[in-house]
Amino acid sequence: MEAGKTSDKPRDLDLLFNARSVAVVGASANPEKLGYEILNNLINMGYSGPIYPINPKADEILGLKAYPSLSDVGQPIDLIGVIVPGKFAPGVIEEAGKLGVKNAVVISGGFREIGNDELEAAMVAAAEAGGVGIIGPNCQGINYPANKLCLSWPLIKRKGGLALICQSGTIAAALGDRADKEGIGIAGLVALGNRCDIDESDLIEFFGADPNTDAIAVYLEGIRDGEKFMEVGKRVGKLKPVLVLKGGRTERGRKAAESHTKSIAGRGEIFDAALRKVGFEKVESIDELYDCAKALSAEKKRPGKRVQVLTSSGGSGIVAVDILEELGLDVAPLSEAGRKRLAETLPSHCVIGNPLDLTGDTPAERYQEAVLALAETEPGIDLYLLIFGDPIPRATENCREIKAAVDRPLVACYIGGGEVEEVEFKKMNSLKIPTFPTPERAARAARSILTGRKE
Amino acid sequence: MNPQELLARAKEEGRSLLEPEAYAVLAAYGIPVLDYRLATSPEEASRMAEEIGFPAAMKVVSPDVIHKSDSGGVKLGIGSPAAAAEAFAEINDAVAESVEDARIEGVLIVPMAAGGIEVIAGMVRDPQFGPAVMFGLGGIFVEILKDVAFEIAPVSREEAGRLIKSIKGYPLLAGARGSKPCDLESLGSVITGLSRLALELDEVKEIDLNPVLASPDGARVLDARILL
Repeated sequence: MEAGKTSDKPRDLDLLFNARSVAVVGASANPEKLGYEILNNLINMGYSGPIYPINPKADEILGLKAYPSLSDVGQPIDLIGVIVPGKFAPGVIEEAGKLGVKNAVVISGGFREIGNDELEAAMVAAAEAGGVGIIGPNCQGINYPANKLCLSWPLIKRKGGLALICQSGTIAAALGDRADKEGIGIAGLVALGNRCDIDESDLIEFFGADPNTDAIAVYLEGIRDGEKFMEVGKRVGKLKPVLVLKGGRTERGRKAAESHTKSIAGRGEIFDAALRKVGFEKVESIDELYDCAKALSAEKKRPGKRVQVLTSSGGSGIVAVDILEELGLDVAPLSEAGRKRLAETLPSHCVIGNPLDLTGDTPAERYQEAVLALAETEPGIDLYLLIFGDPIPRATENCREIKAAVDRPLVACYIGGGEVEEVEFKKMNSLKIPTFPTPERAARAARSILTGRKE
Repeated sequence: MNPQELLARAKEEGRSLLEPEAYAVLAAYGIPVLDYRLATSPEEASRMAEEIGFPAAMKVVSPDVIHKSDSGGVKLGIGSPAAAAEAFAEINDAVAESVEDARIEGVLIVPMAAGGIEVIAGMVRDPQFGPAVMFGLGGIFVEILKDVAFEIAPVSREEAGRLIKSIKGYPLLAGARGSKPCDLESLGSVITGLSRLALELDEVKEIDLNPVLASPDGARVLDARILL
């Protein structure tokens, strides 16, 4: 817990994300400026409530009437984005408090991150006096597609099930961008910045209860309030998958984290123990954070560890088997009955076993035939990993039919498929068939779905 | 004296707990410690060693001695009452010589422990998450392989069991290669006891139980440091 702060209850953030009106303080008509980009993104996102650009030197920005100050708006404002130079931020927050503004996303920098603790303290004091909640400062903003609210960059419009909470704006943007490009979309995105007020626990609580969110991906360099984190974690850990990447695992990484976000970090092993205790999942890389969140937003966790690999590519199948085994999963051989049934079902040049090599000429339908045969003869299989290792059209349709017929999680890898892959990859992901570009990433995602223990 | 009183006294005297005080505090939280006596004269040493049983081990008790063995403050394998009286005198002389003005409270007498597997257990306070209990294999395993794991307090019996199973060396405790499995319930009570102690006694900053001897007949703390 940071000095001078006491552990408190998680905040009600409904009016932050479901704000009914937004003012952009520091909006600009100059396309070079962040104040332009933020306003432009908010407009292009399709935000349906009133938007008030605030700029004392403009009458109109991007086709909207501009106001010299918040007080000149004369209408209720739920949320403000603050992009003015940091030294003006405490004054803006003070004014906002008097006007009944509920929350502020302070994108401006120049606070604690450069050693200017007094400025940040002045802003926090103004926020406390006026009852304004603050995200940031020194942050990349928030995005909540359910309310078409983008006070951030880049513009990400696609709504999906992933909530991204990051102590790094770039990591948040990178994850959001990926989710957008892959057709998955986001439930929300928050860049925490210096977290002078609203912190990771408040946000985990919000997205834990948010009906749009299926999985929560978190990047942190330190915890702001350990007690609150555990309290929130105990609730949300039971409701939804929460994946956490902790920056600063090594001694030198920890030092870098301290100077980046002024995080106080204890021992890494104790952080890991805290995650384990509340049922959050620890991951080791940005890829893993994204991949596991994606897998768990599509598939429910399942006890067990037996994986059946189906592939059109011998090599990719072998790589997948190696990683699955190294991760402690069980790529078990087929039973006699299973082998016999597949021999009857499949063309004679298929290599029957685990991995099951359907070979390079396989149409997508062969995956479906094979899985349906296995579902009858091998009830012990806990998860199917399908590798489409060639340009195989209709992979999506077949996966959907498999999902409808078979009560087991499905993870796919699409690799070496050229233009067909580009189309299928995005289609599969958008339909919640978690699909990955390499066998190792698919295997790691499979590991996050299977808990290992058979209850 | 109860644990609170022992802590209050040590705090007043500006020191951490002496070994027999640490044992008393641990025992109050159900953590299995060896039978022990504190002798303050050669005569007491003879009598107490006989009560404890032979062979016995003897260790100096002093707030000024940090490295007991290096200061000549430890004697092992005491086989008779006469040897205990002799060891008492030798320990006093050796410590007085190697540590200037050392205050000697007496000599601790415990039975020599044999057999079993050395593990370590401890408690640290994290600036974010509060007290956490640590468990691992002792000796070279902790030094070279760093085979330790943590659990945030409060630690339930079930979590203590999971913590024990989570270390790489767990098969050794579970009875690898046909040996008898260690008493894991008893080891678990060391962990849950540390958790309760940490939550109730805020003044305790850090605990280091190294080693704890795990055996089929139960776990026993062989050395304890409780820092305030």
